[in-house]
Amino acid sequence: MSVSSSSSSSSSTTSSSSTSNLLLLLLVSSLDWLSTRGSALAMDHMTSSAPVGPHFTECVSREQETFRCWWSPGGFHNLSSPGALRVFYLKKDSPTSEWKECPEYSHLKRECFFDVNHTSVWVPYCMQLRGQNNVTYLDEDYCFTVENIVRPDPPVSLNWTLLNISPSGLSYDVMVNWEPPPSADVGAGWMRIEYEIQYTERNTSNWEALEMQPHTQQTIYGLQIGKEYQVHIRCRMQAFVKFGEFSDSVFIQVTEIPSQDSNVPFKLALIFGVLGILILILLIGISQQPRLMMILLPPVPAPKIKGIDPELLKKGKLDELNFILSGGGMGGLSTYAPDFYQDEPWVEFIEVDAEDADAAEKEENQGSDTQRLLDPAQPVSHHMNIGCANAISFPDDDSGRASCYDPDLHDQDTLMLMATLLPGQPEAGEDSFDVVESALVIERSKRPLVQAQTGGPQTWLNTDFYAQVSNVMPSGGVVLSPGQQLRLQESTSATEEEAQKKGKGSEDSEVKAQKELQFQLLVVDPEGSGYTTESNARQISTPPSTPMPGSGYQTIHPQPVETKPAATAENNQSPYILPDSPQSQFFAPVADYTVVQEVDSQHSLLLNPPPRQSPPPCLPHHPAKALPAMPVGYVTPDLLGNLSP
Amino acid sequence: MPGSIGPVSVVWVVLVYLLFCSRLLGVGAAPICTNAQAGCHALSLANLFDRVIQHSARMHGISNDLHSEFYFLPSKNQIGRVSRNCHTSNIFTPNGKENAQRMAREELTEVILKLLVAWRDPLWHFQQSIAHHHDFNNFSTNKALEMSDMVHELRKGVEKVAEKMQMMGIISNSVSSLASPEALLPSDSAEWRLMKDYDLLYCFRRDSNKVQNYLKILKCRIVPEHGC
Repeated sequence: MSVSSSSSSSSSTTSSSSTSNLLLLLLVSSLDWLSTRGSALAMDHMTSSAPVGPHFTECVSREQETFRCWWSPGGFHNLSSPGALRVFYLKKDSPTSEWKECPEYSHLKRECFFDVNHTSVWVPYCMQLRGQNNVTYLDEDYCFTVENIVRPDPPVSLNWTLLNISPSGLSYDVMVNWEPPPSADVGAGWMRIEYEIQYTERNTSNWEALEMQPHTQQTIYGLQIGKEYQVHIRCRMQAFVKFGEFSDSVFIQVTEIPSQDSNVPFKLALIFGVLGILILILLIGISQQPRLMMILLPPVPAPKIKGIDPELLKKGKLDELNFILSGGGMGGLSTYAPDFYQDEPWVEFIEVDAEDADAAEKEENQGSDTQRLLDPAQPVSHHMNIGCANAISFPDDDSGRASCYDPDLHDQDTLMLMATLLPGQPEAGEDSFDVVESALVIERSKRPLVQAQTGGPQTWLNTDFYAQVSNVMPSGGVVLSPGQQLRLQESTSATEEEAQKKGKGSEDSEVKAQKELQFQLLVVDPEGSGYTTESNARQISTPPSTPMPGSGYQTIHPQPVETKPAATAENNQSPYILPDSPQSQFFAPVADYTVVQEVDSQHSLLLNPPPRQSPPPCLPHHPAKALPAMPVGYVTPDLLGNLSP
Repeated sequence: MPGSIGPVSVVWVVLVYLLFCSRLLGVGAAPICTNAQAGCHALSLANLFDRVIQHSARMHGISNDLHSEFYFLPSKNQIGRVSRNCHTSNIFTPNGKENAQRMAREELTEVILKLLVAWRDPLWHFQQSIAHHHDFNNFSTNKALEMSDMVHELRKGVEKVAEKMQMMGIISNSVSSLASPEALLPSDSAEWRLMKDYDLLYCFRRDSNKVQNYLKILKCRIVPEHGC
């Protein structure tokens, strides 16, 4: 507070002092002005009191080579007649100099002209006016030296050029150039001249002078568009004080025309830009190329809930949705593959990546996964699929029974649901996976269905070990070419043996060569493994919702391998989708081309159901749907080798 | 720490060495070659002339300023009250353009040098007297000092120009001022001591204008490149 008050007080004092200073200044200036005026008045008074005598008005040299002197009679009108006054000059270039009369008179102009011969620079001259009777009228001699009375002629050829216009279009710069006066011998170096430009708005007298400089051009900055300016120039000798006369004025004016030009390109650019964008949009709309659309207009991710077809959500099939959500018949929607298999120890064995090594069983059994899988002797759990479908039973499954697909076979509703859920088109892309998952879920809840018809525990899917990939679907499914099975089957005696072992019928032939390196579609037992049985797949192969050729699954239960070592050794479980075996009646016919719908967390392949070539006998009546074009199978990498050709 | 001192001393030695080397090699402002030594890049004659002309113009400007300061009586006729002639009046100088142009280059150069030599002492004394007088402000004393220095430098510059011209064969070697400048001084050189300050300034102003004019005429006659 105190500081502020002190500062305020100081400021007030300073302000007061400043005001007092200003007042003093005003006083002084006014006094000065008054004094000058007074002196002028006094002088005028004095002069007016006494008549002004004859005197020289001025002596001027234009080029430092000649000079003239003018006189006036003053108040003595009787001396105004020509010849009444005479001019005498004294040239002090030598000690013995004397007054001489003007060499050249011009009485009309009352001028005395000294030509080149009579002019000497740097020599003092003194002038006198004398009357007829040798009366000198000047008490003081008018003395000077020629270089001090030089007033150069004005420059010539004054003109201007427009330099530029400001971006705002309101002001512009001008370059003014001229020539030195012709009378001044600048070329010989006799005179060194500097120039001064002055300009003003037309019809005003507010002349603005630019800086003096010796060059013959100068730039005037900041002239305003639309206004007319008047420019003139004068010059003087360097380091001297007397200016010459002003030149004739030159007028400068720039109107606003150029400003439009600056806008035109901008407008053109804008128009072209808009047109280009419109054309681009049209092209995009016309082409409708999926890739282009993907790039430019990426699809908004649809709501994804595992186990639920987004189509359901869209179309508002609330009943079915509720059914699913409530887990009706399916056991809930917590359809994550790992969840399925928590009950199933053997599932964990199948996991390819060793990260999940929690289960001791896994560790123990990993080495013998294949054997376990291929070992038909191992009991098949209740969840083994029995039935028409090729179901590969897992170690704890009854080998003999693991041939059918999921119990879902019976459940037409489920099937239907699955069918509906399963997207019909392989192009559905991500949808297919979801459907697969959902199908898995559905399957899981189902009881293993023992299909009587097949009678064979073969759950092997007749698939070749190596299959030719003939096409890749956009959804990620791989289309395999079938036709290798026969050869494989023929070649594999072991499989037949197995088949015999299993005591299955025709399905035995489908027993994969666990020993042989043959891949087979693994139909996952939903019960035991949570895989979707493709039995359903094959039933599904009546494809369910069809739209998708590979909608169904083929669950292949890995048959227990008789000969473990061989099988394991040779079990080259590559995640190929093998074509369906046309021979297996129980299996869903593995089509030549199988579309992999999805790869689950266990790195199992979810294949599209094979195209339904013949309705499996065990298949219960289920709604006829379009046959999936491709076999769909869910194959775990481990089980692949167990697929019987 | 001996270890830390070591590099520091080395740095100092290097610096000192560099300084000396630069001195020895003459690195820096390129001096005007007096004897056409090999390795020093000489300025062109036009360049030399421009330099001396600029110098003389500046000298004349200062003399003008000082003269106007002393000239207290504002008379519209600019009466020059020359009580006596300038001490340089006995030096024959061309008083007109034609006379100057008709004069030989050597003579003109000699005239310039004579003038410059003649003003060396008077100006120095003038500056001394002004410094002791308290009537004059610092501005005037500084200008007087600068003026006397400039006369000295200008004389050297003109001598260099003359040497270059002689070397280039433009003028003959008859310029005697180069040999002994003192010979140029008139015998009664003490005349200037009698001049009043004002007269001295007046005379110097006139003579500096002469010098500037003669130099310009000489330049435009010999090397009329630009500025003529």
